[in-house]
Amino acid sequence: MTGNADDAGGDEHRTVSTRRGRRGFLKLTGGVTGAAALAGCLGNDDEGSTYSREGSIPDAKTYAADELFNIEEWRGSGPLIDDRPTEYEGRSMLDLPDLRGELTIYLGGGEGGLYENLMRRIQHTYRDFTVDIRKAPSSQHANTIVEEVNAGQSPADIFWAIDAGSVGIVSENDATVELPDHLVSEIPDTYHPTDQWVGTMGRARSIPFNTNEFSKSEIPNDIFTFARDPRFDNAMGWAPTYGAFQAFVTAMRLINGESEARQWLNGMQDQGVGTYDNELVVANRVASGELNAGFGNHYYSRLVYEERPDAPLDLAFTQADAGALVNCSGAEIIKNTPNETLAVDFIHHLLSIEAQEFLTTRGYEYPLLPSIPPVGDLPTIDELNPPEFDLSRLADLEPTLQLMREVGVL
Amino acid sequence: MSVADRVVAQFDREDADGYPVGLTLLSGAIAAAVLSPLAWIVIRVLQVDTDYALSIIARPTIVEILVTSLGLVAAVTGASIGIGVPLAFLTVRTDLPFRRFWTVAVALPLVIPSYLGAFTFISAFGPGGVLADALAPLGVESIPSIYGFFGTTLVLTLYTYPYVFITTRASLLSFDQQLVEAARTLGTTRWEAFKRVTLRQLLPGITSGALLVALYTLSDFGTPSLMRLDVFTRVIFVEYNTFGRETAAMLSLQLLAITAVILAIESRIGDSSRGAYVGTGASSGSDTTVSLGLWKLPALGFCASIVTLCLVVPVAVLTNWLLRSPSGATRMGGGFEWQFAVNSVSVSLAAAVACAAAAVPVAYLAARHRSRLSELFDRATYVGYAMPGIVLGLALVFFGVYYESSVGDLSVFGADITPTLYQTLPLLIFAYVIRFLPQAVGSTRSSVRRVDRSLTEAARMLGRTPAEAFRRVTLPLIAPGVIGGAALVFLTTMKELPATLVLHPTGFETLVTYIWSVRESGYYGFAAVPALVLIVVSGLSMVVILSQEE
Repeated sequence: MTGNADDAGGDEHRTVSTRRGRRGFLKLTGGVTGAAALAGCLGNDDEGSTYSREGSIPDAKTYAADELFNIEEWRGSGPLIDDRPTEYEGRSMLDLPDLRGELTIYLGGGEGGLYENLMRRIQHTYRDFTVDIRKAPSSQHANTIVEEVNAGQSPADIFWAIDAGSVGIVSENDATVELPDHLVSEIPDTYHPTDQWVGTMGRARSIPFNTNEFSKSEIPNDIFTFARDPRFDNAMGWAPTYGAFQAFVTAMRLINGESEARQWLNGMQDQGVGTYDNELVVANRVASGELNAGFGNHYYSRLVYEERPDAPLDLAFTQADAGALVNCSGAEIIKNTPNETLAVDFIHHLLSIEAQEFLTTRGYEYPLLPSIPPVGDLPTIDELNPPEFDLSRLADLEPTLQLMREVGVL
Repeated sequence: MSVADRVVAQFDREDADGYPVGLTLLSGAIAAAVLSPLAWIVIRVLQVDTDYALSIIARPTIVEILVTSLGLVAAVTGASIGIGVPLAFLTVRTDLPFRRFWTVAVALPLVIPSYLGAFTFISAFGPGGVLADALAPLGVESIPSIYGFFGTTLVLTLYTYPYVFITTRASLLSFDQQLVEAARTLGTTRWEAFKRVTLRQLLPGITSGALLVALYTLSDFGTPSLMRLDVFTRVIFVEYNTFGRETAAMLSLQLLAITAVILAIESRIGDSSRGAYVGTGASSGSDTTVSLGLWKLPALGFCASIVTLCLVVPVAVLTNWLLRSPSGATRMGGGFEWQFAVNSVSVSLAAAVACAAAAVPVAYLAARHRSRLSELFDRATYVGYAMPGIVLGLALVFFGVYYESSVGDLSVFGADITPTLYQTLPLLIFAYVIRFLPQAVGSTRSSVRRVDRSLTEAARMLGRTPAEAFRRVTLPLIAPGVIGGAALVFLTTMKELPATLVLHPTGFETLVTYIWSVRESGYYGFAAVPALVLIVVSGLSMVVILSQEE
């Protein structure tokens, strides 16, 4: 059942081996300078860092598309994937150190297998590299890791989760190591508020709307308007049991205070907002005209749009409030791993141009490498205007659930 | 005497009062093993600041949750008895047409995980679901909400009543009709005879099924959470997910206290079986069949409507998901592999065998040597069953990891021999044993009770050792009960999700972990194939359970 786009593994292997000479060279020089750097201090001694490649990673640069590692194969295809750039800035997988060894990765969520698929692809690129992937809900993995580290040692080398709250809680519990500068430097600060973890892909809160009912300019750029403007009476849908929605309410509660969040929730209920199980359904109902608009992560509308290209469905974003929150998936390295260098190199692969392009063109998430545009006519992540907000604080979910239960939304 | 005989003989050696010391020690050890994760919860609770702990217990919402949880347990158990007992009677004692078909069909809902049932019910009967869409053109604007207490009760009842059905059915099959006739000959009224003879013989079966239903209801988190009903498990789960591990541990302790109360109540009712005459087996019961006459049609309607709700609805919804599977999702990766089914089956088989082996000593002691101690061991096996899978899973994480780090690095002649336990199959199977042992104990215990003591005594008088008597007389007679219990464990292990997610070896994907991972991202279409495979495989084992009985 795997898609044809991903069955190119065999061809890939052949192409890779012809490039191996170049990789071998990089690896050699990396080893020499790496050993020299090991003597140096990595800032956070008590973490007991074993990272051994400081100073040996080439700087980010501009690549023409054909200088990258078979970019056409990493890229997905489909109606929304034309007009990809001819050049990118960042680091190509070709210029990153070879991966050799074995890593255990706790994967929280993973977009229906997409993240796993990327990791398998990276594994197939290197003959001597294996990833062992362990899947569970993000928050559950976070709990487990904290428990494991408290008791001695987690089997996990890396935790990669689809929400910033979960990676945040692990690092706040002192269970991660500091990431080296070259790894995080290209990712905007918003998506790595500390050096304990780094964002990988972004997911924006958005307002899917039916273009027969509204034009883009009629959608308010303030999330609070939806709860009081009569135009949205009996017109909207939401999925309050969905984690991303709860993260959005958490952000609203922390930015605007609990009483304003409560008012907003009550206001939406007075507006007769329709409740659905997930945001894909909300997007579908907006496309079919049953709803005029809704609240949802941006990529659900892309998925609907892909299946029904003629649907009267468009996306709008609010400005600088919780309604425009951009949450992200993030990766971090678990304390005391014996494989720290490999783990850093691996996360670096996730942030390479090829991997970012892979996730962008298949899952429609926002790439966090600024040189990579999102698919279709989505605004770039710079054009979005998310609120000033430390994403790690999204871990403070419990009062949100309490609030949502109190007002009868959950 | 063979080695095995000698080992068994050790455990069956009796002290001066005829009490089997070895057997008692063995079942005590099993009980202690399955209770061990409790220690983790206690440690956690001790870490909670006293004032904070009191403030949690005193929260008004906790009282609300307590009332809702108990109400749900009562409603689901009552409704399960209401459905399970008549169905058992219809399929065993009446001339219901296609009895064999109905026997299998009404037991089958047990193979469907209740959370999957809840999904499909929401999809079919929820707002914007198939039913609402179908009724909309007829002018029906809104249908009663499937969410909340009603929906949770409905779904849990539909997927747990088979416990009552199966245990009641087993009692009915071994029911000695001659006793009723004897009572009638002695001049008792029909009602009196029913109350004093029939009910007395059926009650242990009904209550052991009802106990499984009650404890399942208490420990299930998937259904209430999908149906948005705040019960203990849902709140515990939310606490865990929002990192309130201490609060969660406290709530778990409260949940276990409720379990203890339910177990006490059940053992009270179960007492009525004490001293009841136990018949010699199924032979005498099955030839008296009640003719349904005019009731044939309503009876068929009853069976058919249950089967429609429990089986046709979910299978139809799953098939619909399968057909509607979004094209975009297909290329996102992570296809279904048959290896997942192989993994599920092998780990479930292992759990079934382990449970059967652990259940025999506990059940045998409880059934043959009634004492406070034997009863305590028997009851202890039920505690893990009421523990939410997530709580148990994290408790074993703690033990697994801590064990490893305290053992440290052992090496012999330079070779690393550090034993690993955490995230290995043995620990996962141990978790399943803790969770599902009572299903095997219950079934084995009632089959031991049905074995006529005089048969083993006769074997002893003919010079057989206790071990030989057990092996050659008792074991063949209780085999159907043991196998039936093991098959039940197999079924429930196939469906288990939360503990599997926490404890499975990395890379060891099963049907349910796969269903979870694809469903979580909204790609229901991917969940359809493994869910249907799960239903078919478990369905086959259900046929084994039912054929063992007769």
